[in-house]
Amino acid sequence: MDYIIDVKELRKEFTSHSSRSGLKGAFRDLFTRNYTIKTAVDDISLQIKKGEMVGYIGENGAGKSTTIKMLTGILTPTSGHVRVNGMNPHKDREQFVRSIGVVFGQRSQLWWDIAVQESFRLLKKVYNVPDDFYNTHMADVIETLAIEPLLDKPVRKLSLGQRMRCELAAALIHNPPLLFLDEPTIGLDVLVKLKIRELLKEINAKYGTTILLTTHDLSDIEALCERVIMLDEGKIIYDGALRQLRENWGEGKQIQFAFAEEATHTELQSLTHDHLVVWEQGSNASNWTASVENNEDIISSVIGQVVGAKKIADLKIVEITTEEIIRNIYEEGVIRNG
Amino acid sequence: MSYLSIFFQYAGQYLKTRLTYRADMLVEIFSDLLFQAVNLIFILVVFGHTSLLSGWSKDEMVFIYGFFLVPFAIFGAFFNIWDFTDRYIVKGEMDRILTRPIHSLFQIILERMELESLFGVITGLGIMFYSGRQLGLSLHWYDPFVFVVLVAGGALVYAGIFVALASIGFWSDSKTDIMPTMYNIGNYGRYPVNIYNRIIRYVLTWILPFAFVGVYPSAYFLGRDEWYGYAFFTPVIGVIFFGLSVVLWNYGVTKYRGAGN
Ligand SMILES: Nc1ncnc2c1ncn2[C@@H]1O[C@H](COP(=O)(O)OP(=O)(O)O)[C@@H](O)[C@H]1O
Ligand SMILES: [Mg+2]
Repeated sequence: MDYIIDVKELRKEFTSHSSRSGLKGAFRDLFTRNYTIKTAVDDISLQIKKGEMVGYIGENGAGKSTTIKMLTGILTPTSGHVRVNGMNPHKDREQFVRSIGVVFGQRSQLWWDIAVQESFRLLKKVYNVPDDFYNTHMADVIETLAIEPLLDKPVRKLSLGQRMRCELAAALIHNPPLLFLDEPTIGLDVLVKLKIRELLKEINAKYGTTILLTTHDLSDIEALCERVIMLDEGKIIYDGALRQLRENWGEGKQIQFAFAEEATHTELQSLTHDHLVVWEQGSNASNWTASVENNEDIISSVIGQVVGAKKIADLKIVEITTEEIIRNIYEEGVIRNG
Repeated sequence: MSYLSIFFQYAGQYLKTRLTYRADMLVEIFSDLLFQAVNLIFILVVFGHTSLLSGWSKDEMVFIYGFFLVPFAIFGAFFNIWDFTDRYIVKGEMDRILTRPIHSLFQIILERMELESLFGVITGLGIMFYSGRQLGLSLHWYDPFVFVVLVAGGALVYAGIFVALASIGFWSDSKTDIMPTMYNIGNYGRYPVNIYNRIIRYVLTWILPFAFVGVYPSAYFLGRDEWYGYAFFTPVIGVIFFGLSVVLWNYGVTKYRGAGN
């Protein structure tokens, strides 16, 4: 099996020097420098097949951007094996980057002062895209992202949402088989997010484009990715189907009670002592959440027992969100295998 | 697509943008001209009453200054990299550069070009023709070709030194005054090197070879055959220094750390 991305034991360390204070310190720095090594990516291995859409998630500082920068040839790895599109990204950089598209949410890829369409035109030349392909392909992209009215404006006059749509369009000009997106939806409103997701789905279906996406917004991942890779302190702690993650971790349901009067933990626990229920207090002493197994009999029974004994103002049954699942995983720090 | 046609694409875009801000461009050309005039007046005043300085006449000095302006203008038009560390390393713009399929240094040249600087070529030629006539110099048919080669050599010397300095940014992004200092040192190249002491002359020839931007190549046109060896060495020094700086740059790119968090 050929992989589009094939990474083994990839590692990136950043060395930072700290200088000692004072004249004496500066003098000593000349000979021996104090330094600390930060391992941003810690011997990760992963393989991605053509056409996959993979969500790369993790808390701030987990090493997501650093990984993407190594996969795109921007940073040279400290050690490890990387092959992306059959090439070594930092060795054959100029040849390699023709085969990828990159969008960084926090940093513009477009030229600040010139009109969007001029940027597109320059990029078309840079990537040597044939006219007829450009015309049909970009007409499609421009329509899906609804950026037609923005084309003659300089990038610096665009709002964040407008700019990000243009950035994405620019990354697709040469129709790369592999697309890297680092926080593409950060700070965007829902409508813009939807447009971006729609386009990503479309190019994935149409051209089989492989997409690796980091995001803070798990709804992006839920909308797009079947597979997630979770990173924590530079290490991969989960790599597998999003569905599986939900099945293993999100098997339970939560029943949210708002009581007419205050309740105590012991009181509630004794009411439901014949089931496995985890009671947690909500915003105040009359709001409580019961986490139970996802089983209709148990849910009905727990509700019956509580309602029979206490006055209820409101009641809601909710599924555990992916967000909570992931928070739980980080709290426990390990992956439960199902 | 060749680098040459990419170059014209960028240059076209550049002119288009510049022409929409015509006033800015005129101000820039005017301030360049003013700067050159001040330098010329400086030479005229300082060397005005000494008819000979270490064997060079005032008109020869003026000619050397005129020559110097030409490679310097070309350097200025394409190698605006004095703020490279700040703009590309600290702000992380290098990330963007490195995701494009063109050599990174060439992209920076394209992005940062300031074609107005090329007016310095005209000023330089004007000064050379004027002082050349005072000196009674005559032109051979091949002189324009020699001129082009020597100017290219001089511009490459400048470019090499400044590209090497910019490359330091890949290792350390701390603020230094090294760029402005080097601009000042560069100015020594526009006076004849034999007015300086031996050490400075050695430095300006072999270490920071700014003498190859002004006095050495000019010696050829001034017919000072005792300096011909140096004059013809100009393109060699240019290619060596620029080549080494590109090697250093390429190595530096592998050390790029991205914008620090
Ligand atoms: N250029 C750099 N110099 C030093 N440390 C860095 C640099 N880039 C990233 N780091 C460190 O590496 C770790 C991972 O950063 P990053 O990959 O940006 O995380 P993420 O994108 O997951 O938020 C962080 O601790 C960060 O401080
Ligand atoms: Mg990041």
